Amino acid sequence: MSDALSQPMESDAGHGDDDSQVSTPLLQLKSITKRFGGLAAVDNLSFSLHKGEILGVIGPNGAGKSTMVDLIGGATTPTSGTIFYQGHNVTGLSPHQRTQRGIARTFQLTKPFTGLDVRENVMVGALFGQRRLSCSQARRAADEVLERVHLVHKATFKGDQLTIADCKRLEIARALATDPQLLLLDEVMAGLTPVEVAQAVELIRQINKSGLTVLVIEHIVGAIASVSNRVLVLHHGRKIAEDEPAQVLSDPKVIEAYLGERYAQKHTQDSASGFSTTQE
Amino acid sequence: MAKGMKAQTSPTTQAPPGPKEGREWLWSLLLGLLILGLVATVPFVGNASDLHTWTLIVMFAVLAQSWNFIGGFAGYSAFGNVVFFGIGAYATGLVLLANQPFWLGLIAGALVAGFFALLLGLSVLRLRGHYFAVATLGIAEAMREFVTVRDVGGGGGGLISLPLPSLDSYIRFFYAFLGLSLLCLLITVFLTRSRFGYALVAIRESEQAAEALGIPTYWYKVGAFVLSAMPVAVAGGLYGYWATGFDPDTVFNVGISVEMVLLTFLGGAGTILGPLLGAIAFEYISFQFQASGFTFHNTLLGLSIVIVTVFLPQGILRIIQEFGRQPAAGERRAGRFAEGVRRVRRFIAANGI
Amino acid sequence: MSFGQILVNWLLLGSLYGAVALGFSLVWGIMNIVNLAHGALIIVGAYTAFWLYTQLHIDPYLGIPLTMVVLFIIGWIIQYVAINRVIRAPLLVTFLLTFGLNLLIADLVQQFFTSDLRSINTAYAGNGIDIGSTHIAFDRLIAAAIAIVLIAALDYFLTRTRIGNAILATGMDRDAARLMGISIRHTYALTFAIGAALAGAAGAMLSELYPFDPSEGGTFTLRAFVIVVLGGLGTPWGAVAGGLVFGLAETVVPLIPGVGPGYDEAIAFAVFVIVLIFRPNGLLGKPTFS
Repeated sequence: MSDALSQPMESDAGHGDDDSQVSTPLLQLKSITKRFGGLAAVDNLSFSLHKGEILGVIGPNGAGKSTMVDLIGGATTPTSGTIFYQGHNVTGLSPHQRTQRGIARTFQLTKPFTGLDVRENVMVGALFGQRRLSCSQARRAADEVLERVHLVHKATFKGDQLTIADCKRLEIARALATDPQLLLLDEVMAGLTPVEVAQAVELIRQINKSGLTVLVIEHIVGAIASVSNRVLVLHHGRKIAEDEPAQVLSDPKVIEAYLGERYAQKHTQDSASGFSTTQE
Repeated sequence: MAKGMKAQTSPTTQAPPGPKEGREWLWSLLLGLLILGLVATVPFVGNASDLHTWTLIVMFAVLAQSWNFIGGFAGYSAFGNVVFFGIGAYATGLVLLANQPFWLGLIAGALVAGFFALLLGLSVLRLRGHYFAVATLGIAEAMREFVTVRDVGGGGGGLISLPLPSLDSYIRFFYAFLGLSLLCLLITVFLTRSRFGYALVAIRESEQAAEALGIPTYWYKVGAFVLSAMPVAVAGGLYGYWATGFDPDTVFNVGISVEMVLLTFLGGAGTILGPLLGAIAFEYISFQFQASGFTFHNTLLGLSIVIVTVFLPQGILRIIQEFGRQPAAGERRAGRFAEGVRRVRRFIAANGI
Repeated sequence: MSFGQILVNWLLLGSLYGAVALGFSLVWGIMNIVNLAHGALIIVGAYTAFWLYTQLHIDPYLGIPLTMVVLFIIGWIIQYVAINRVIRAPLLVTFLLTFGLNLLIADLVQQFFTSDLRSINTAYAGNGIDIGSTHIAFDRLIAAAIAIVLIAALDYFLTRTRIGNAILATGMDRDAARLMGISIRHTYALTFAIGAALAGAAGAMLSELYPFDPSEGGTFTLRAFVIVVLGGLGTPWGAVAGGLVFGLAETVVPLIPGVGPGYDEAIAFAVFVIVLIFRPNGLLGKPTFS
């Protein structure tokens, strides 16, 4: 069954260390809990992400997915627990410090810099990310990234002239421009048409092929299932499943919490063989 | 918990333009130089009263241009920047009273103000929108009180009386202010082409996204704040000597703080020419009113603020730019004027209920 | 000064400050508008009471309802003409706008009444109750009592009446309230007008207790701001809580050797910054009224 999944290839073009760090996970969450008042948005969450993987994260609304991205990205600090990145404890680092180490994220509610055009938006990532380029170098780097996400023809467009799909692409482009090793995608497919979803999936595959480890949060289960190596399911802030997509989708706990019986019946057979165009 | 998060702008808000590649900056710079050049002719074509008026107009231009760094570019509405004006005035005044050279006083003022801005910025730039604005407002008021009660100037209630200037011609003061304005213009142009400028604009548009892209927002904000303080302090020092004396109510006047903000917004916050144009436009009209015996300066200021904030928050320059903006693919070239008008009206309507 | 006197002073001052901050707190909590013209409205209230007293010989306290009506109308107009149009605008715009209004109003008051210091001296001004060495002045006592009444009345109005509930709902979630059929425009107008009326009441009370001139407004706005930061936006009683804490600071700090009087705004600012450093959402911080 796993043959049918698209596997990220071992990439030489990545930023990997030469020493045998394969066993050390790129990202590790240990017993991460985040409370807001009495409510635990994320409850004792632990998992690891290995270099070169694509990890999909699904779960009902309010399950804590975005909070998790905020925690990994540094926008909030956990109430308890630790986060390890490349073996180092990064729990206390601020967002920009994490970006400097190679963690990049997108925002579910896109936040384009509306005073700048598309190219300049991406330039910001290139200027302040891991590479810290000069203005002219950043301009070139931005155009390269825009090519990858197929947005270069709109390089001079302003924020209010972009479609939703473009905005999502811009979010991804900006994050890519910081030259990350780990990319966190927060519901980049929300609001996209089926064709656009397919393009997004392809983009994620390409990003992964170029050496990045990707964590994808989504509601479009079919898409996630087809692109991820593993899928993590969150519910009420807790992990209720973590396995290969096919296993997760047929897990009764997951079906009960999120997928629903009809989906399970319809899709258990063919979800592993590439995603269907029916959106969940 | 996002630090320093500001209120979200509505989606139809046309944000001020950011740094640009291409030629726009060059045109703005040239136009700015032209305007300053024209103003530089005032001592030759005008009388003493004109010189007096235009000296103050240029001074306000400097204040607005400086405020633009923190308020226009970084998007942090500091409402108390007059505190730096007063610090500069008192520092310079005290230096003069100690029989030290004038230029030393100006430098001292700039350094003290910069340092004060550093301390203040470190404390209050962590605060959210409302709180930051009022904190800066409060510090200016607190400073005014302090200087008054402690009688820093020595003349009773903080008053300072200075000897007549050795820059014995008012023309030199005028050109000193003009030079300061030129400096601010150059700094502004530099901002629009530099990493520092991009960082500030990113912070203004979305501080969260800026952080996520690797910008240490806190330090850049503090930097912008310090930058906004120093020219203001020098202006304060120049003013103090030019006026041969002042009191706390004059140089720590909260109205000046707000006037800085208004002028910048009137012309267009975050732009190169906006503050300069706004200052010239408003102050010139204001002085014309005063000349004809109109004593309602605060009323005029207040009313202008109301009108600008309700109808023109983007500033005149932005409105002009809107008309001139390249249409996106699909928009017709004809009817751009009408489209521009529609855009403005939509913006005004979008801000209401 | 005896401890009893300090205590009495503090309680009375704190209650009065509660009244000062009440209208400001309402507008901020419901409309998310920091009304920098609040102080100017207080001043208008003071001058209205002054005018009623000097022209019509109405006692300032008795004239409070009338003063409130005048300010209510003024507030309604301001809301409709100006504030209405910037509700969704960025923070700076509303800040600037209300500051502009502040300048405008203060200047107009000055044009009409001149900047002479005014005060109202009623017949009972000096009298009071004496308990031991503690003197409780009648006028301050009445002012504090009225303040408590106003706060209680506002609380009742907001939580127990339909219109009040509508205001609360609008404050919690404007769009949801609109979907429920509440007219946001009218609700906001009402809210702002009530806020102005409360400012007027505070002004009337202050006119009887202290001398005033048109430039005093800014101090009151700053104080109101700090009081709200201290007491939180959650309920009208927060204004009293904040008022008491702030009153404590203002009473105690000048007693520190070497400090002396005259540092009102510096104290306000210092308290403000210190609180926010430790509690960025205010002491009892809540985001809106509830």
